[in-house]
This record gives sequence, structure tokens and C-alpha cells, in this order.
Amino acid sequence: MSVTEYDVVIIGAGAAGLTTGALLAERGFNVALVTTGEPTACLSTGCIDVCSCDENPLTGIKNLPPEHPFHLVDEKTIRQSLNYFQTVMMDMGMPYAGSIEKNRSVVSALGTFKTSCLVPSTMEAAPQNNTDSIHIVTFKGIKDFYPGYIVSRRKNTNFSVFDAGVYSIMSIASRFEDKNFFERFIIWMDKLRIDEDKIALPAVAGLESASEIVNSIAVLMGKPVFEIPTIPPSMPGRRLFNALKKYFRKKGGAIYWAWPVVGTEKTGKLIEAVTTHSEGRPNSINARAFILGTGSFVGGGLTATRQDITENVFNLPVHISGPRETWFDNDYFSLNHGIGRAGIIVDSSMRPADSPWNNIFLCGGILAETEILKNGCGHGLALATAHAAAQSCAEYLSHEL
Amino acid sequence: MNYEHCIRCTICVENCPVFRVNPDFPGPKQAGPDAQRFRSEKEKAQDEWVFLCSQCKRCEMACPCGVEPAQIILREQQRYGKEHPQTATHLLFANNYYLSALGSLTAPLANKFASTETGKNILRKIGISTYIPFPKFSFRTMRQGKKNLNKGTKKVAFFYGCFINFYRPDIGRKIVRLLAAMNVDVVLPPQWCCGLPALGNGNLALAKYFAQKNASSLSDYIDAGYDIVYACTSCGLCILHDYPGIMEIPQGKKIAESSYNLHEYIIKLINEGYAKPEFGKVRRKIAYHIPCHLRALKIGYPAQKLMATIPGLECEIFDDTCCGLSGSYGFKENNEFTAIQIGNRAVSLIKKTGAKNIVADCGSCRMQLEGLSGITALDPAEILCESLNITNQK
Repeated sequence: MSVTEYDVVIIGAGAAGLTTGALLAERGFNVALVTTGEPTACLSTGCIDVCSCDENPLTGIKNLPPEHPFHLVDEKTIRQSLNYFQTVMMDMGMPYAGSIEKNRSVVSALGTFKTSCLVPSTMEAAPQNNTDSIHIVTFKGIKDFYPGYIVSRRKNTNFSVFDAGVYSIMSIASRFEDKNFFERFIIWMDKLRIDEDKIALPAVAGLESASEIVNSIAVLMGKPVFEIPTIPPSMPGRRLFNALKKYFRKKGGAIYWAWPVVGTEKTGKLIEAVTTHSEGRPNSINARAFILGTGSFVGGGLTATRQDITENVFNLPVHISGPRETWFDNDYFSLNHGIGRAGIIVDSSMRPADSPWNNIFLCGGILAETEILKNGCGHGLALATAHAAAQSCAEYLSHEL
Repeated sequence: MNYEHCIRCTICVENCPVFRVNPDFPGPKQAGPDAQRFRSEKEKAQDEWVFLCSQCKRCEMACPCGVEPAQIILREQQRYGKEHPQTATHLLFANNYYLSALGSLTAPLANKFASTETGKNILRKIGISTYIPFPKFSFRTMRQGKKNLNKGTKKVAFFYGCFINFYRPDIGRKIVRLLAAMNVDVVLPPQWCCGLPALGNGNLALAKYFAQKNASSLSDYIDAGYDIVYACTSCGLCILHDYPGIMEIPQGKKIAESSYNLHEYIIKLINEGYAKPEFGKVRRKIAYHIPCHLRALKIGYPAQKLMATIPGLECEIFDDTCCGLSGSYGFKENNEFTAIQIGNRAVSLIKKTGAKNIVADCGSCRMQLEGLSGITALDPAEILCESLNITNQK
């Protein structure tokens, strides 16, 4: 019953880490998750991009370069991982729409289209082309959303401004859960007499019950309503994180916050414990296996210096595209920056290649050759590799018993 | 200080309970790393609004880059407090220890005073809010000295903290019996306020004064082979984090090394095979509210681990909500609205579960949640005692 002894310790609280954690906890393992802070998933649009290179994500995956980690996961597991995700999110009251066989579009805060595979139901009604007319309802004083960008790009688009009395995305979102606020908002909207085909809101419609809130607006106004993801703070990203976290906890997982791993204890081919800073006694957690889901640079899994790139937890060998000249393209907005390929190469069991450790399994953005921006495959890859890592890890743990 | 590591992602702001309800507070990002870039030791501190921060430390728990906004704000609170005359409420709450000692000495009178309308009016006049009943002083506080309940080889010096001492010594006595039931030799060392209320009111000098007195006392006990066990998570965080940190107490590190959360300690005893408690049935559903400062201790939720072994006990965890009271913070009249708003959110989530009891390690969380919800709030130790059939009666 030790506080600090588990079957598995997951490092990283993103979509990859939380999903692996939930899968292992479901199989009856005693799981803890440690994280420096909240994950970059909170900053995301909340959409699950699987592979945006092709109309059909599965075809897109097939056409990815052979070294891409998606090829470590078979199609059945990919399908299974997305189905699992949709079931989990439905269970947590945040349904996702979409199909693995067809990508769809989401309107971005700039009025462009973003290609994604599974999207929160609050974005399901987003127009798939430029023909629908849109009425954007925005909020007074809000700093992270400017309807002007969208109006300047799209025809038949207008906007109105509601004064919520508070001016940050987070504060407005929490007001939406308040019945009186919601009624005031609906009465105001009713007076607008909106003619356009669809109504758009920046993604502020609540924290826990966004799906119901967007639905009720649509029913009350008699028109499709959709949310437009904003730049951080991004509510859809936060809802995604909260739901996955809640599910992980529901399955019995423990979470340690503000727990950056600063050291490890090892014997032979095994990692035995991870440690963090402490003012007092050494603060460490023992486990039989470890899952590394720390992401790449922004997530905190990798650090780049002038000379090389290092992996921050286990100091695993990092695969780099080549010398520093190859890391960056001259065009800033290019999708071909070599640094997007940096990461850890794994074998088919998701263990790091060229390293002695037998009980580390990797998933998500930390993997090498992902080129997440170019391929549009962030969360999809995280979910698929989470299933693969959980499978390998479970086999290892059962075998070890 | 590490404010340069801030990438302005606003995750801390999203986690700030005060920012969500009080537009006057610019949020941890702006009050912390952002403003810090413009603060200079050569200039007088001028951001009075730093005191709108309740020091729940949720921003620090959430930051993906290891920046400590609450710590930056705490330091600015001390600087502001030093360079400006202390307001009456700040002085009052910083000296909470003496005030409570006086209250306990005159308990019947003080309780009567705090419960009448006239008393409440006077309290409000001096800036103390009365939206939840003021905690009742207990005439009989914890008696310091050796508790001859057991003669085990493990020796514990119990740091009970002000809340237990002045308001709920019955819980304190139960904890002593609980430890004794684990075959532990318990001592109540001489102790004072941990210093956290003084720190929260920008009075570093007073905080250090209290801390130093405690440190000298506890340090002697450590030398004599005792482990320090604390029950209040905020006292614990102050001892572990602020004594060796902002207060720069010489014995700070040594004390941090030997201090344990009560439940963490019980689990340690069980793991070492030293104690083998047999938990009996407690048939009930509880909502376990995780105090913000328990999260900040980075030891996980040990009480939950213990309660999970109690047959019949159904426990739902809430660690995303702050209670809003934050010690003396919510008792200040200008924070009243903020504290109520934050607390109501926590209460609304708890009420949905239909739990019969709220359980929380922190006395001030219990006070707030019980006050706002009307649901009885218990210390996890009380649940353990119930399960082990430990009462204060002999």
C-alpha cells in the first residue's frame, strides 16, 4: 500500500500519458502519473488530428514516410484507439464527432480552415466550405479573439458583441455554466434576429458542460451553432485535458502535480524509481515500469542547445535530422524544419532503441520522425501510440509477474 | 528567481480560482512573472493588489515550465508589507496566534460575542467578514508534554497547529490516540503558530519570529530521535517549504527532512511492518476535498490511500476546486465575495455527489465548506478513528 510504489509510473499528463494511464489502470495495474504542470494539450484546439495530409486519414498514414512512428501501430489498433477515445469522451460528457475515414474542417480564429479528424461536438456544425453565411457572436473586451480576421476572409459574415461583464476567456466560460447568465445571453441573442445560416461563438461556452450549452443555444435559436477554437487560453483544449484526467482518476490513477523528474534510480537494465526536487527527504516514486509521454520541445520532453538535443528524463539517445544547419528551414513558416523530426526512435514494442532500458515505453510527441506540424497528426499519434505502449507495458508487467 | 522561464501560456491564469471570480486581480501571470520584470529593489513596492492572491499555489502546480508565480507574489507581498504601514486587519490576522490564545482563554465569552449580531457588527466594522460562523474557541486546548499512551520504539513529536489547538482540540486528541494505536510514542512539543498567517499578511519579520521559535523546539526533538508529524497541510507546507525557503531558518532543511504528513507517516509505519491497523467498516459516501496545500506538498494523497482500504467507504476525490477561504484570506471583508464565489463552486460539485460528509485535511477548508454547504465536514483522521473504533473517551 506504499504511497510511493506503483506498477507503472506515467511521466507526462498529455493525451498520450493520460490515455496510457487509463488503459493500464483498466487492466488492474496500480498507476501513478507525474507531471511538471498541465500539458500542452491544454493549449491545443481540442481537436484530434490523425493525419491531415489526405482526405482520408488512413490513406494519409499509409503515405507517410516509412520511418514515421505511425507505422509501428497497425490499422486495427489505430481504429481501436480512436473508438476508445470517443467512448471515453462520451462517458465524460464531452462527445466527439467525426470518422477515421474522412477528415473534416474546423473554422480557425483567423477564418481559415483547419483539417482535423475527430472534433468536439461543439465544433461539429462548423461550415465545411465558404458558402454558408455566418453570424459571429463575440464578447466585449475579450483579448484572444478578433472576429475581424474572419469577417475579412469570408463573405456573408457579420458579428455582434455581447457584454459579459468579464473579459477573459476563462471567466466568460465559467459564467456560461450559470443559469442566470445563460438566460441573459439568450434574451440578448433573441433580439439580434440573426438571418445568417449559422451562428459562431469563440470557444467560451462553458467548462464542464460545453456540449449541452452549445446544443441549447442551437435549439433555442433554431440554427446550427458552433465554436471557433481560440488561441490559448483554449477552452476546448482544457476540456479535453479535464475529461481525460477525470477518466484516468475514475479508473483509479493517482496524479502528482508539480513533479518534474530530476533524477532516476536504476539497477542493471531496469529503471527502479524517479525522483523530483525536495526541500526535505528525497522525494521519489518506485515502479516496475515507466511510460514516457513528455512530448517534444514545448511539452518539455526535449531540450535543444546550440550543439545538440537532449531527452530530459532518462537521457535517452535523441535522433536528430543532422547537424544544426539541417534543423531549420530558411522560411519561418515552412513545414519542413528538420527539428520536427527530432525525438526518440523506438522498436516495435515502443521501447527506446539503442538504450539498455527494458522497462521504459514511449508514446506521443517524444517519438522521432513525427513531423507533427507538417503531417497534422499530433493527438491521433498520441492516442494510437498510447495503445501500443499500454499493450507492450501490460505484456511486460504480466510476464514479469 | 525563475520568472524568465515563463512562456506566457496562461495555464496558470486558467487555474487561478481568484482570477476567475475577481476581475480586480490580474491573475498569476501578470501579478507574478509579468509584473516582476518591472519591479526593482530600488523602487518602493506599489502593487497593493498582490494581497488579492490567496496563496493557494494552484498556479505553481499547473505551470508547465516550473515558474512559481505564487512564490514571486509571496515575495512581493513581503516587500509591500515591509515598506508600507500594516493595515489593522493584516496586523490582526498576522497575529492570529495571540488572538486565538486570548479567544481560548476567554472561550465562553468570546464565542458568545462572535455569535451575537452586535458582535458580528463589530467584527465587520474592523474588516472581518462573518458570512460563515466564526469558529468556536475551545477553552481546553492541547496540553503540551509527553502522552503516556504507548511505549513503542517509534517516537513522534506532533505539530498540531493552531486550528486544532484553539478550535478543535478534540481532533488533536483523537490523532494522538490514533498514533498511539499505531504503537507510537507521542509527544506534544512546545510550539507556536507556524508563521503562515503572518507570511500571508506580508509580515515576514513576525513569520520568522514564530518559525525560529518552532524550529528551535522541533530541532531538539529531532536530535532526541523524534519524527515530526503534522496534521494541518498548510502548517506542513510552511514548515517544509517556507522554513528552508523564504524564511531562511537555519534548521529548516533538517526539519523538512524529518517532517511527515500524518497519513504519510501511518503508511510508512504500515510499509515497514511496524503497525498493522485493521480497518473496520465505515458504511458511508464521502466527498474528499483535497486542500490546495496538500497538492502543493507533492506527496500525493496519502489519506485517500488509507481511506481506500476502509471497507464500505465510498470516496470521491475533488482536487480541482479551491474552497476559497485560504486561512485568514476569506475572513477579510474585501475578499468575502471572492471567497464565497470560489467556495460555492466547490460546494455545488460536492452536492451533486450526495455525499454524507465532506472530508478535508485542512481546518479552514472544512470550516468554509461546512459553512457554505451545511454538510458536516470531517478530518480524514476522524474517519480513520471511526474505522478503528478510537474515541476520546477512556
